[in-house]
Amino acid sequence: MNGEVLKVVEFKIRRYDPDEKKHYMSTYKVPIRKGTTVLDALNYIKENLDGTLTFRHSCRMGICGSCAVNINGKPMLACYTQVLDLNADSLTVEPLSNMPLIKDLVVDIQPFFQNFRKIKTTLIKPAEAFRRENEFPQSPEELKKFWDLTLCTKCAVCYSACPAAIDEKFLGPSALTANYRFIADSRDEGLEERLKPMTDNVWLCTSCNSCTLFCPKLVNCSDSVIEDRSLIVEMGAIPRTVKDVLESVMKYHNPMGTHQNKRMEWAKDLNVKTFPNVTKADVLYFVCCSTAYDIRNREIAKTMALVFGKLGVDYATLGEEEWCCGDHILRMGEKGLFEMLAEHNIEMFRKFNADKIVTLSPHCYNTFKNDKPYKDLGLNVQHYTEFLAEALENGKIKLSKPLNRRVAYHDPCFLGKRNRIYDAPRQILQSINGLELVEMKRTRESSFCCGGGAGRVWTEEAEQEKRPCVNRVKEALELGVDAIAVACPFCVTTLEDAMKVLDVENKIAVKDILELLKETL
Amino acid sequence: MEKYSHDIVIVGAGLAGLRAAVAAVEVNDKLDIAVISKLHPLRSHSVCAQGGTAAVMRDKDSFELHAWDTVKGADYLADQDVVEFFVQRAPREIVKMDHYGCPWSRTPDGKIDQRPFGGHSYPRACFAADMTGFHEMHALYGKATSYDKVKFYDEWFATSLLVENNTIVGLTAIDLKTGEMHAFQAKAVIIATGGHERIYEFTTFSHTTTGDGMAMAYRVGVPLEDMEFVQFHPTGLVPSGVLITEGARGEGGYLLNANGERFMKRYAPEKMELAPRDVVSRAEQTEILEGRAFTGPYGPYIALDLRHLGEEKINERLPLIRDVAIKLGGVDPVKEVIPIRPAAHYSMGGIKANIRTETPISGLYAAGECSCLSLHGANRLGTNSTAECLVFGAVAGEEAAKYVASKSFKEMPHEKIAAEEKRVFDEVLGSEGGESVPALRDEMRRLMNAKAWIYRKGDDLESALKEVRELKKRFKNIKVEDKGKAFNTGFTAALQLDFMLDLAEVTVVSALARTESRGAHSRLDYPKRDDEKWLVHTLAYYTTDGPKLEYQPVTITKWQPAARKY
Ligand SMILES: Cc1cc2nc3c(=O)[nH]c(=O)nc-3n(C[C@H](O)[C@H](O)[C@H](O)COP(=O)(O)OP(=O)(O)OC[C@H]3O[C@@H](n4cnc5c(N)ncnc54)[C@H](O)[C@@H]3O)c2cc1C
Repeated sequence: MNGEVLKVVEFKIRRYDPDEKKHYMSTYKVPIRKGTTVLDALNYIKENLDGTLTFRHSCRMGICGSCAVNINGKPMLACYTQVLDLNADSLTVEPLSNMPLIKDLVVDIQPFFQNFRKIKTTLIKPAEAFRRENEFPQSPEELKKFWDLTLCTKCAVCYSACPAAIDEKFLGPSALTANYRFIADSRDEGLEERLKPMTDNVWLCTSCNSCTLFCPKLVNCSDSVIEDRSLIVEMGAIPRTVKDVLESVMKYHNPMGTHQNKRMEWAKDLNVKTFPNVTKADVLYFVCCSTAYDIRNREIAKTMALVFGKLGVDYATLGEEEWCCGDHILRMGEKGLFEMLAEHNIEMFRKFNADKIVTLSPHCYNTFKNDKPYKDLGLNVQHYTEFLAEALENGKIKLSKPLNRRVAYHDPCFLGKRNRIYDAPRQILQSINGLELVEMKRTRESSFCCGGGAGRVWTEEAEQEKRPCVNRVKEALELGVDAIAVACPFCVTTLEDAMKVLDVENKIAVKDILELLKETL
Repeated sequence: MEKYSHDIVIVGAGLAGLRAAVAAVEVNDKLDIAVISKLHPLRSHSVCAQGGTAAVMRDKDSFELHAWDTVKGADYLADQDVVEFFVQRAPREIVKMDHYGCPWSRTPDGKIDQRPFGGHSYPRACFAADMTGFHEMHALYGKATSYDKVKFYDEWFATSLLVENNTIVGLTAIDLKTGEMHAFQAKAVIIATGGHERIYEFTTFSHTTTGDGMAMAYRVGVPLEDMEFVQFHPTGLVPSGVLITEGARGEGGYLLNANGERFMKRYAPEKMELAPRDVVSRAEQTEILEGRAFTGPYGPYIALDLRHLGEEKINERLPLIRDVAIKLGGVDPVKEVIPIRPAAHYSMGGIKANIRTETPISGLYAAGECSCLSLHGANRLGTNSTAECLVFGAVAGEEAAKYVASKSFKEMPHEKIAAEEKRVFDEVLGSEGGESVPALRDEMRRLMNAKAWIYRKGDDLESALKEVRELKKRFKNIKVEDKGKAFNTGFTAALQLDFMLDLAEVTVVSALARTESRGAHSRLDYPKRDDEKWLVHTLAYYTTDGPKLEYQPVTITKWQPAARKY
């Protein structure tokens, strides 16, 4: 390829020499032209600068799935990524995660492919059906139901990005999606057989959405896992822990298993207006079951009320009429129960006249914004970090006291990956005097899930080392920070658990941004 | 070195290799079958096949018509018994793929849909959007891995075949993960290693399509047949060579020169853009040579215009092409023309095998693009290749399964194995010369592009031959920079170059000898087809002094050669 050199980009490549068992970094400068892909750049290095650099590649057209690597922390296909599109003068290229290293950028993909052996990747039908001499009929509409899921190239990008895959028991996004692809195929008759290999591990998925976010073929693995679960729920083959959560929501309308009449206990010393005593306010404060009931998290709920008060905001909560938003429930696959919760909450939203809804939890935020039937209402909903960042920007809140802490911010998946809210929480933290904000190695889009989503916060049974929260806290410990700041009550719960497991509670704490803010007011 | 034993060892896990594996277990599920592939099966080139797979699926179509199209497309060099057998078996394969789960595109009444393709006089390309090979591969791999009796050796690189008394006894292969060489003992071996297009600079093929199996068979005395016939696809994306499927023209795309003219009307007024590939590629090359092409930063190009199809149709029927054009070419076909030019796209030639995929060596079979049966003669029709892989992959599996039933394992030739170890580790990996493998490879590729391309001339080919032989000498003086054991891709690149140099030589020698123009082989100094002298297959035999050529008549059953017009 000729054409004009538009810039020179530095490639920092993580290396591994298996003969010497040595890990190291190599840096190269590569001339970039219009059209140069990351794979072209790697080939340029290998053929001109360093013949020992090792990576896989084959089709160079985005279809064979050989060349996936982590580029600046994000897994992608080297051949399908234009260097100019990355808008950077320096790129860090690393092997995929969650698989053993072989050499440099080459990882052992066998564990990933082993998972496909546990499901059946061919049509299941009674033997005599295959004696038919022509095709099984299928309408274009029937094909459409699973077509998008057939586009998976098995490049293992999703597996690399998946927090649940640190537990090898988990089949992984791609295999679970492949399984659902067959379930959704009108030609297939193997439903029951297909559900079996999933029942003991599908629950490990946290719905963090990394798989779907990074998939080069835009395959929606995350939703496929929900479909898998929903069929398992229908069949009733669910573990005790999951059953407990669902039953509790069914009975009490919250997953905590506590009566609704205790929902406002967190506010008993505060003067918080509630529905139905009031039926109109500027802001409907949607508290979230976790912050309302969990003793530890009630502080967060209270602080928000305090801040609303300081800002003079006219706000109210739904009181005992606030039911679980259903985000976790939907993602655990209990669609019917979710609909029941949503119907109730929607009815309340209709009765209660608010200009906007502010949620504490990114999960409530997410479901109100993105899941039908909530989504159809076009609700004006903000996550509290957006609300506060706005207030700070408009000079409405004054943070008087400095806070001398070194803090790492952990992006909650339902705020970041699912809703692209990365800046508001950082703006709040940065406006705190004396607070030193440190970025985690895996941050923003590449953030590593705490392991709490899709109900796993209540059903965690994995060995300690295989829990995402433990993995995440270890990452934070390496940064030498004294706190991990979060903006999600579930992240608080899981990360705090991990700190107990690791016995590092005296070294590091987890704080919701609201808790940090409180100390400065 | 460890020894592995399997009844059947299949080298290659593309469409042909995987189909062979499934066919063999289906014949006899007691057999112990191994599939060795230098790539994970799903990384095989076959996943790149886009446009479709040809088969007669409708009453209005007929075997006769498909066969005739194929023979005519082949410029009468196809063996017509093979063609007739092939067209009859193709529909069964389409149905098998459906039964394995291939998501074929459908007609409103639920049948497998078909679309038109160049050189076919009926719309008989079954397709799964524009990812046909990809879906066939995933369906086949899904099926093949459901059998316990098929053992996969993923990322094992075969280096040589072991033959004793004209009978296959096994092969040698390197486990790339450890870098160790091992011997495989087998009663039958099926080679399904794909084409050799990477001997050219501008090609639609994967980086790994280096013709290894052809070279391995050649080195143990199997002739390579019709290697002068290389197909050039009319639409390789500039500058990468990535294929823009013929489906893009099948769906109604135009080819334009710099004057905005649909120049195909001057070359093939009836079929226009859908004339066979050789005709379209030559037309483009003529436009380029006569100065009517566009000029861009990456050399001359022709415009493929899809804009009039509209965004909806492009998204529905050609989604991959749009994605590829944007990501790799920087152009959105909804808004801009796609810059293309002809690219090396298919090897009609290959390991000589008969209608049962048997090579002249007992127990050694060849199927798929690496083989030459000869189905495609001097020019392959689009969508006949994946069909060939399926039909003859199945035949190879079935034949090998029947063959091994009465055979026992043979003694392994230890000296040959030791000699192969020496060649691979001492002479290639251990070579301490000054030549760089990528530099030599690029020289070979440029040379083949310059002198053994669409239009060929005797003097060009002669000088190409000298240069290839020079490169072969220089190869003895290479240095592989990486001396590590595990996953040494510099080392495998050297082994592949060694194979490719042999194949480049055979291609040039065969092309030089054929003093006529037929199908994809166009000699400017011999512009006419010469049935009198050249209605024969070229057979190139390995000798230490280079290929020795012999010729063999074409099998003609029904269709006598006639002028080929579109
Ligand atoms: C872009 C593109 C689009 C195409 N579209 C179509 C189409 O629409 N319709 C059609 O009919 N044809 C199409 N073709 C042609 C068709 O894809 C190929 O001819 C066909 O897929 C070849 O399949 P195969 O099984 O013979 O070999 P491949 O798929 O190339 O597989 C070769 C296998 O051999 C293995 N191998 C090679 N060397 C070694 C070694 N030394 N040791 C171990 N293993 C080895 C590889 O790992 C691989 O598994 C297209 C080709 C291209 C380039």
